[in-house]
Amino acid sequence: MTQAPLRDPALTLVARATPPAPKPSAERKEPIIELSHAGVTFETRKGEALTALEDLNLTIYREEIVSLVGPSGCGKSTALRILAGLQPLSSGDFWIGGGKTRQGFSEVAIVFQRPTLLPWRNVLDNVLYPARVLRGRATKEDKARALELLELVGLAEMAKRMPHELSGGMQQRASIARSLILDPKILLMDEPFGALDALTREDLQLDLLEIHARTKKTILLVTHSISEAVLLSDRVAVMSARPGRLQDLIEVDIPKPRGPESGALPAFHEYSRRIRDDIFGPRKRREVQA
Amino acid sequence: MSPAVRKVVLPVATFVTFIALWQLASVTFEIPVYLMPAPSDIWGGGQGLGLVLFDHALQTLNTIVLGFFCACCVGIPLGVLVSVNRTISEMFYPLIVFFNAIPIIAIAPILVVIFGTDETTRLIIVTLTCFFPIMVATASGMMDTPSEMLDLARVAGASTMVEILTVRLPHAVSFIFSGLRIGVTVAVIGAVVAEFVNANKGLGYLVTSSTAQFAIPTATACVVMLALISVLLYQAVNWIHRGFFAWSIKTDAGD
Ligand SMILES: Nc1ncnc2c1ncn2[C@@H]1O[C@H](COP(=O)(O)OP(=O)(O)OP(=O)(O)O)[C@@H](O)[C@H]1O
Ligand SMILES: [Mg+2]
Repeated sequence: MTQAPLRDPALTLVARATPPAPKPSAERKEPIIELSHAGVTFETRKGEALTALEDLNLTIYREEIVSLVGPSGCGKSTALRILAGLQPLSSGDFWIGGGKTRQGFSEVAIVFQRPTLLPWRNVLDNVLYPARVLRGRATKEDKARALELLELVGLAEMAKRMPHELSGGMQQRASIARSLILDPKILLMDEPFGALDALTREDLQLDLLEIHARTKKTILLVTHSISEAVLLSDRVAVMSARPGRLQDLIEVDIPKPRGPESGALPAFHEYSRRIRDDIFGPRKRREVQA
Repeated sequence: MSPAVRKVVLPVATFVTFIALWQLASVTFEIPVYLMPAPSDIWGGGQGLGLVLFDHALQTLNTIVLGFFCACCVGIPLGVLVSVNRTISEMFYPLIVFFNAIPIIAIAPILVVIFGTDETTRLIIVTLTCFFPIMVATASGMMDTPSEMLDLARVAGASTMVEILTVRLPHAVSFIFSGLRIGVTVAVIGAVVAEFVNANKGLGYLVTSSTAQFAIPTATACVVMLALISVLLYQAVNWIHRGFFAWSIKTDAGD
């Protein structure tokens, strides 16, 4: 892997932390995302400062699935937006990808909580959108790949439909297909299954595990569901209430491939309980203090 | 009656009744023609003009359509600029609002002095009258773009230009057409004003010249023609919207 020099102008916007020296690719733990002392402070309309994130440290390794859980408003989305280049840092530093120039969805792709399909384009063109932005037009290979991805998420027949003709779950599948169109190394997902019904949700979780098994992407997943975090992740990062910082980092050692039956394992409940304690514990302590 | 039939039959029935009552009132109360011509008088006035009426109508239509086209060429890009760049917006928006605040009827004679007594001046007047609603609609549409769509474009690596072309403008289409619908009716007014102050042809000219000779039915026939043109153009904008941008109507209804 070659490393682009850091003075690359396209890079300075996004990656200011120094990437670690490349390790032999045989080693499993090769860092690909790094947040160090990351802090974000918003200014509210009244002019007060609102610290959303404070001193967040997190390293994510290649091919890992890491979940980010924590109480609502603790800054999970903010952390994801930093990595996507949508949110500037107030303090600290971060670094994402192989230290190369960012190239749209071919490097880092994002799945938003809502499908965010362009209503004036059909499903296929929506999936192709990142390719169009990157190259100006979609090549034949892009189209073939898009159809393949739609097949993967079970939307092969819907390629020519307009987004409003799809159900919410189908739209979210399409947006997942879109995130994969340029074969990104890193997938950022902000509660991708949050708005879906339980059945579709379970279906898509398993899809994601399958996609990960096949494509070995690095995935950072924000979720509100503790069981989802345990089911999908190699590690779960638990964040504390605002201002958000890392509270606990849990290595989930449940055998793979995982599936619905993994939920029955005693270890699964152990992990779930630990995460729940992490999230709700501090609140109880605060009540005792008061 | 099926809904489609109702949609045609009901308004036509109302219209016919209205005309009939008007005619009846004119005849029974013997309202003088110079006060209020009866429908039959107006029809007669139009017939008296014959093909000349259509000749003038074409002239006016030409001015409206060209002026409206210029207003689109000015208004849409200006709306884009104003909505995308904050500095440009802060610099020019007040100035544009000020220009729009000037009553066009008041400056039309001045424009004639400045630009002369030809078609150019009329086009300028029409453009000035109707570019504002088009510009404002474009700008509001661009700024209405959901932030998640903009986030998507940014993460996908879109430049400002690509973002405008692939996300903001398509989203703004239904807004732009609202602006165009207003703009096209205002353009009719602009064209008439332009012909009032400066023309030797066109329906506006015909209205002033025939009124000067107390040929009220002739003038009223021209007014009816103008109304028809206005309705026709409004519908034409609708047809273009439905024909080429049907998807934007769908999202409109969904919101
Ligand atoms: N643009 C903004 N301006 C001001 N405050 C913001 C902005 N975006 C987020 N915040 C604040 O920052 C904090 C963290 O927001 P964030 O969206 O990251 O939370 P979250 O962990 O994703 O919450 P949830 O689980 O509910 O989605 C919140 O208190 C929120 O009010
Ligand atoms: Mg969030």
